[in-house]
Amino acid sequence: MLVQNILNGISLGSVYALIAVGFALIFNVLKFSNFSQGGVMTVTAYAGYVASRYLSDRLDSLVLFAAVLAAAAVSGAVIAAAVERLAFRRLRRTKSEPVYYFISSITMGILLENLITIYASSNFYSYPRFFATSAVPLFGVNVAVTDMMMFALSIAALLALLFILHRTKIGLGIRAACFDVNTVQLMGMNPDFLVTTALMISGALGGVSGVFLGMNYTLYPQLGQMVVKGFVASVLGGLGSIHGAVIGAVLLGILEIFFISWVGAGWAPVFVFIVMLAFLLVRPRGIAGIIVQEKA
Amino acid sequence: MLRIEDLWVSYGHVQALLGVSLEVERGSIVSIIGSNGAGKSTLLNTISGLVKQERGRIFLTDGIGPDTAKLLPREPYRVVKLGVVQVPEGRQVFPGLTVRENLMAGAYTVNHAGRVRRNLDRMFEMYPILKERARQQAGTLSGGEQQMLAICRGLMAEPKVLLLDEPSLGLAPIIVKGVFDTVRRIRDEGITVVLVEQNANQALAIADYAYVLENGRVALEGEGRALLCDPAVKDAYLGGAQEA
Ligand SMILES: Nc1ncnc2c1ncn2[C@@H]1O[C@H](COP(=O)(O)OP(=O)(O)O)[C@@H](O)[C@H]1O
Ligand SMILES: [Mg+2]
Repeated sequence: MLVQNILNGISLGSVYALIAVGFALIFNVLKFSNFSQGGVMTVTAYAGYVASRYLSDRLDSLVLFAAVLAAAAVSGAVIAAAVERLAFRRLRRTKSEPVYYFISSITMGILLENLITIYASSNFYSYPRFFATSAVPLFGVNVAVTDMMMFALSIAALLALLFILHRTKIGLGIRAACFDVNTVQLMGMNPDFLVTTALMISGALGGVSGVFLGMNYTLYPQLGQMVVKGFVASVLGGLGSIHGAVIGAVLLGILEIFFISWVGAGWAPVFVFIVMLAFLLVRPRGIAGIIVQEKA
Repeated sequence: MLRIEDLWVSYGHVQALLGVSLEVERGSIVSIIGSNGAGKSTLLNTISGLVKQERGRIFLTDGIGPDTAKLLPREPYRVVKLGVVQVPEGRQVFPGLTVRENLMAGAYTVNHAGRVRRNLDRMFEMYPILKERARQQAGTLSGGEQQMLAICRGLMAEPKVLLLDEPSLGLAPIIVKGVFDTVRRIRDEGITVVLVEQNANQALAIADYAYVLENGRVALEGEGRALLCDPAVKDAYLGGAQEA
């Protein structure tokens, strides 16, 4: 039971991590919490579903799964770029305060969610089963194949993110822009391009997590509100820290699974929030704050 | 190399530049001196495209012959691509990136890995301390080291014109000397330098030509040595203690 819970928690946490690092990335560049990500996740979960409908005759199992994820990631990136164009670019031109970005991004999130509500809420949809075997034994417990897939692919996506940020020119540009989005222009970088790229990366991660969430639960327009989990995880991790966000997300996943098994799904979020608040009282700067202090 | 014609710039109702015209000859050091708030940074930022002018034109004249002048674009990143690179006031290194990453950020517009590597080696050769600290975060460097890093980051872009905004600001005298030596060396390598300074003494001493900016206007101009001896300049900018 213990091992089972921990494994489930890690798998859930790895999905939250995808959302949380997207938050951390955008928080670093634009200095606000990008709640439009929720809307992006809703749309991509449906986009992935549509792709699975179209492709399920032609592909199966792993290939189908990969195609669905790719479709969701691409649509997430495209929608995030559109959100940047519509909701953020003008604010950047006028050098607005972060609170305007925040409002603008929440508005976009609600807009996207409601567009899906209009077009899709009258029916229930759920993803097809991608894998023939549903569970395999591991560490003496049965682990769901989808859980393992979610975990493995989340890790792969996070590694890809780290690769982009630390091994590519664009990644270096994005990291430099985190410190000073104006000064990077003097290095010949185009901030519009860097900000859009960062949002597209975050949107693609959101797309992957949208599919995972859609598979875990059923599809419903409010699915994107799971974005709050990513936000909580990134706050736990220390806002803006990518590594902190991952650790925060895994902790959150494990906490949730344990609370669900102790007090039930209804009360679990309450306890999770209590733990988070208590933690932030002790460590206002989150987990990454601890790491930074230890280094110093 | 650069020609500026009748430049007017304002921030809302603050008029920062009122009809500034100046000329920067290829391969020279042109110093621009003036007190705090005279409009020196505004001038460089307008050249770089960070600030947009209301009126006036900025030409890059790097071709040979009179009709090769081209207007500088107004997007900062495109100005850099044309070889006009600014090292901003207060250095503005990226504190959480390593020294090496800061330099690589400077090389963003250079799409040739071999050349980037060569330039990097040259910077490390010029300033071995940067090599020693290559993996350290730039924020941990001293002020003088950060200034060197900022200049080298600018050089990594392979500039034709380097715009330096108060590189000696806040540095100890012995380090200031090193900064000015560097500026001279950059010019000797064939890079045109526009040097903005409040440290008028040394800025004039190394300048081939210089402008004095006052309240957004060019008050005086002339060869660096000549301005150094000008009584009005002496009074206003060189103070009493004057040892070259
Ligand atoms: N971002 C800004 N907003 C409003 N006024 C500014 C801004 N930057 C500079 N100024 C004003 O423009 C004038 C010139 O400033 P600046 O170019 O920074 O001078 P300097 O670099 O010579 O010290 C000053 O009066 C300053 O107050
Ligand atoms: Mg200034």
